[in-house]
Amino acid sequence: MGLRAYVVRRCLQLVVTFWAFFTLLFVLFRMMPGDPTSMFIMDGMTPEQREQRIAELGLNEPLHVQYIEYVRQLLTGDFGQSFIYNDPVTSIIAVRFMNTIVLMATALIFAYIIGITFGALMGWWRDSRFERGGIVVTLVARSSPEFWVGIVLLSVFVFWLGWFPSSGMRTTGGELGGGFVARYGSLDFLRHLFLPALTGAIAYLATPTLLMRSTMLDVLNADFIEIKKAEGLPERTVLYKHAARNSILPIVTVAAIATGTAMGGSVVIETVFNWPGMGREMVSAVNNNDYPLAMAAFFLMGSVVIIMNFVADLAYVYLDPRVEYE
Amino acid sequence: MTLLDIDGLKTYYGADDGWVRATDDASLSIERGETVGLVGESGSGKTTLAKSIIRLLPDNAEIVDGSIEFDGTEITELSDKELRRQIRWSEISMIPQNAMNGFDPVYTVGDQIVEVIRHHEDDTSKAEARERGRELFDDLGIDPDRIDDYPHQFSGGMAQRAMIALALALSPSLVLADEPTTALDVVIQDRILETIKEMQEELNSAMIMITHDMSVVSETCDRIAVVYGGRIVEIADAETIITNPRHPYTLGLRNAFPDISDDDQELISIPGTPPELVDPGEGCRFAPRCPFAEEECWEVTPQPESYGDGHQVECHRADEIEHLQAEAGKKETWREQDLGERKPAETVDEQAAEAEVELDD
Ligand code: SF4
Repeated sequence: MGLRAYVVRRCLQLVVTFWAFFTLLFVLFRMMPGDPTSMFIMDGMTPEQREQRIAELGLNEPLHVQYIEYVRQLLTGDFGQSFIYNDPVTSIIAVRFMNTIVLMATALIFAYIIGITFGALMGWWRDSRFERGGIVVTLVARSSPEFWVGIVLLSVFVFWLGWFPSSGMRTTGGELGGGFVARYGSLDFLRHLFLPALTGAIAYLATPTLLMRSTMLDVLNADFIEIKKAEGLPERTVLYKHAARNSILPIVTVAAIATGTAMGGSVVIETVFNWPGMGREMVSAVNNNDYPLAMAAFFLMGSVVIIMNFVADLAYVYLDPRVEYE
Repeated sequence: MTLLDIDGLKTYYGADDGWVRATDDASLSIERGETVGLVGESGSGKTTLAKSIIRLLPDNAEIVDGSIEFDGTEITELSDKELRRQIRWSEISMIPQNAMNGFDPVYTVGDQIVEVIRHHEDDTSKAEARERGRELFDDLGIDPDRIDDYPHQFSGGMAQRAMIALALALSPSLVLADEPTTALDVVIQDRILETIKEMQEELNSAMIMITHDMSVVSETCDRIAVVYGGRIVEIADAETIITNPRHPYTLGLRNAFPDISDDDQELISIPGTPPELVDPGEGCRFAPRCPFAEEECWEVTPQPESYGDGHQVECHRADEIEHLQAEAGKKETWREQDLGERKPAETVDEQAAEAEVELDD
């Protein structure tokens, strides 16, 4: 089976997965305990208001009609109005989601670049002081709770050294420019980004480091590594071009899954640094019974996970010629 | 003309309880274009001996003594960089036991041939290197277009040929072949061995063929060195080793491969296992398994004795050749039950207390 056929089939699978996912979401939201309509009703509504709201949301229709309406909304990206903000859900989510992407992508990129490099070196210099020290540092990073790391960073860099602002995404009163670069590229923004991103990077660091190290140890035992050394290639070439290149394969899958979940935002980091991202928004949407907003947030997060898995599969085919297209 | 001269080589591995003497005082010289077989069971130290030549040893191994002179260059004294530039692959290359695992799975075979050519020859273009790879494929009986295939797309025999192409890409003076055919079935084995011979003659490369299989060396090698316990216990031209060996271990190995002895006798294996090489002490290392061991064997390490025509043997009883050869052909001689009883009483406990250490091969 050719590569193209594989990609086409994988795309079809993607569509089916999506369908299964949003159908499940539909069922879940309607299976919630108690009267399914109760979560759309605010305290203190008169019975007339209730009836009106239910009719507005189409909840008096038969289930299959509701389902078709639900699919139509998803396909058009229309998630309705937020109960709390009284704005379209889509525009609220779009802003929060972008904030989360910028924060988490920065954290992940640093965590994976540093983790892969250090993990590779730890495997290469097996049994050295570097490896032993590295493992200790990694395990400490892994077992430190995010909020604790965040608070430590805050007290050192903000309250003690005063190098970074303590919270938020930009200094109040700062210009909120229109374009992406103006919003997320300004020095002020980057200064706000640094500490939360660092906290995230520390939290994500352990997985790629330890995984890379252990796969390196396996790969270094392979015959071809010995042959590459016998070929007289410099250590650097054997290390990066051959050993690390082979060891990175399992990381691809892990990185994709980590990205998927990270895009849901981290409630802890967002709370400690007062970062207006998805994690906090989702929690408050659920607490406030803001059903359309919660629904959209769940949908978006699940979608990211599904898409990242898809990307990982394709990347794997590209990176490992041995993968059978089955 | 002598290409390689190994003298008194000692390669030891550091283990928790002392040095493992994987190669202990081995001397061997090889002429240009010559093929020498290193024969022994696994764990005999034959692979360590061969890999010492290009210093391809694990971190805990060390060449502690002896010299390796290759074409006028003392290999033990080269810096790592000089070794990589002057010796590895350009002068001495190797063919591993399982070619499929000898290639990096994520690059095409062609890319790997091009990589090594261009690393050693600064002014060879990518296209030229590729063309050379294709020619080598053609010479070795592989369709040149398959150079763009990944290793896993080759069959075992084909991968072995591709590996030979890689090993010969820089026309080395010496090729170390580590059990190059054991992973293949018999029919393909013979063809691969033939191909190796032809190519080797064409390039006038010398070769060290490492194997446990007497029949492989008898077909391909000019001379054979029998390795036991890290030492070369017998060395002679192939004919002599096959028809007229003097060392009991060689006699035992020969018994295990019937197709090289003239009569259709049954297979007899040597009882026991290769020795632990942690501080082995004095005495013949084969003594615990040797049916002919005497008191002297346990106390004095035998030194190489010459028996003409480059035939050297390390055995106290090598003079009694007729007796040894006659007895070695009998199955009763190699009975396992006798093993323990052969040891003089006082050495038994000491030997048994030695820890197990696994060797590289
Ligand atoms: S020296 Fe003695 S023990 Fe060693 S091989 Fe010869 S006869 Fe056997």
